[in-house]
Amino acid sequence: MTTTRQRHTGRRLGDGAFVVMLVLPGLALLLAIVLYPLIAALVTAFFEQSLVLPGRTFAGTANIASVLEGDFLQLLNQTLWFTVGATVLPFAVGLGLALALNTGIRGQRVLRGVLLVPWLVPGVVVSFLWLWIFNSNYGVLNGVLQSLGLIDSPQAWLSQETSAMVALIIAKTWTSFPWVMVMLLAGLQTVPPELHEAAKVDGAGTIRRFFSVTVPHLRGIISVVLLLEFIWNFQHFDIIWVMTGGGPAGTTRTFAVAVYETAFHGLDLGKAGAIGLLWMVLLMLLVTVYVRFADPERAR
Amino acid sequence: MTVTSPTQDPTTPARPRTPPARRRARRQGAGGRLAAWIAVVVFGSFALLPVYWLLATSFTPTQSTFQYPPKLIPTDLTLENFRRLVDNPQLLTYLVNSVVVSLITAVLSVIVAAYMAYAFAKHRFRGRKSLMSFVLASQLFPQSLLLVTLYGLFDLYGLLNSYAALVLSFTTFTLPLCVWMLKGFFDTIDDGIIEAAQIDHASRWRIVHSIVLPISAPGLVAAGLFAFVRGWNDFIFALTLAGPERQTLPPGLVNTFVGEAAAEWAPLMAASLITSIPVVVAFIALQRFLVGGIAAGAVKG
Repeated sequence: MTTTRQRHTGRRLGDGAFVVMLVLPGLALLLAIVLYPLIAALVTAFFEQSLVLPGRTFAGTANIASVLEGDFLQLLNQTLWFTVGATVLPFAVGLGLALALNTGIRGQRVLRGVLLVPWLVPGVVVSFLWLWIFNSNYGVLNGVLQSLGLIDSPQAWLSQETSAMVALIIAKTWTSFPWVMVMLLAGLQTVPPELHEAAKVDGAGTIRRFFSVTVPHLRGIISVVLLLEFIWNFQHFDIIWVMTGGGPAGTTRTFAVAVYETAFHGLDLGKAGAIGLLWMVLLMLLVTVYVRFADPERAR
Repeated sequence: MTVTSPTQDPTTPARPRTPPARRRARRQGAGGRLAAWIAVVVFGSFALLPVYWLLATSFTPTQSTFQYPPKLIPTDLTLENFRRLVDNPQLLTYLVNSVVVSLITAVLSVIVAAYMAYAFAKHRFRGRKSLMSFVLASQLFPQSLLLVTLYGLFDLYGLLNSYAALVLSFTTFTLPLCVWMLKGFFDTIDDGIIEAAQIDHASRWRIVHSIVLPISAPGLVAAGLFAFVRGWNDFIFALTLAGPERQTLPPGLVNTFVGEAAAEWAPLMAASLITSIPVVVAFIALQRFLVGGIAAGAVKG
């Protein structure tokens, strides 16, 4: 119990050593298992390096050039389709449900709890479930659509280019929308009812009030939700890997899948690093552009 | 997160100003309620019918899943699928691994994160802001890219196929999560308590261990549960860094059911159900703790 020193150090001002000891274990861990691996992976882009053989040789920009000349544009295109689809769709569903629940309909609390289940289940379970639903031979989707007369014969949804991508987006939407819903609902509940009352008195209809009262009030939350969803989907791996593995014929391959496949099936760490480097540069560009547009005040 | 005030914004009847306006407003109220119900039914079906199908299939005999069109309401319910899972020792290994790894990850993350979060919440020091941003950002990097180096790193230290590799790799996302959750929790602790303890000449460590952490027990439990769930749900790290002896359930199920035995849908759904239950249970517990934690904070703080 050092008594005199404590009195001098004042209220919040910790002595340096104490703070360092508090922060050090966590910081060391994050540096060792996040920052170092990330930088090292990006540096690998400039080397010829195999996953299984020791040593590496400097390769300059050869890896990057080979990726750019190879399937880079295809990967970009597919990653963007997945990202935009899996961001917009959950947003629409989540917003719809948040608005519906916010009207105070009966059973609101129970509904909110039950609707969270798709968000809780592991990504692998999400993938299995939708693989089974979309199954070409015995799938329930084919069964229902055919009995409604919407299709003539069972479809192999995951073996066709467009429908495979749509299937992935639907599966991802199913597991993402609850989080959007909860975030937006929390935001909606902070909108003061008086604002709506005042707008109503001024003769604004439901739709008008949604766009001039609700949306401006939710601006901050909406832009954070969209940004995070975008970042997460841009990097999503689990569902794509389990459901299609990037197929059919590579048409649902995204950057995440390509990096993984190149490193752990192709054993080519240099090329995987090159894809990763381009991927991260793109992500930073897109996020910067997004922040500029969506949140001009914070960007400054 | 899901803790909100009980006072909802009800569908308030319009203020009786002029008769036409009033009628219109009321019609919109009814229309709004109808729209709300339509949204709930349509989107709710999208959310819950797959859950129903997961449940239905897992209690359906395997041979009945090879019917087309499938029976939407199963008539011959069975526990056969679950029995087959129990009989598979490999699946039991995956289950044990999942429990062990997620538990160690949660405990380790909470302990390390608590000190860091306390520094962020209750101390002002140089580099605090940038350090906080770094912690926040560190969970936004893609796992597949981290693996490009992590694999070699763990190989170098002979950690491949060990619990340590899984715990450490899971910590990449659970630690930032716990730091931010706990910082939020510590922020709500009244500085007065800490100052009072300082006046009583309690040492800095004693303040942390005898006052801050005990007060924050609900927060620590909540953060731990969150970390547990995130570890439990991980796929890519366990898939890559461990073999069948150390793998957790998610990659284990992929290895067991996808590929050769791709047609085993009923047992796969049963396994999926079992894998999901701990997460749902943890979340229900978590909700209680979040509510309790905030209430306790209000009383004690």
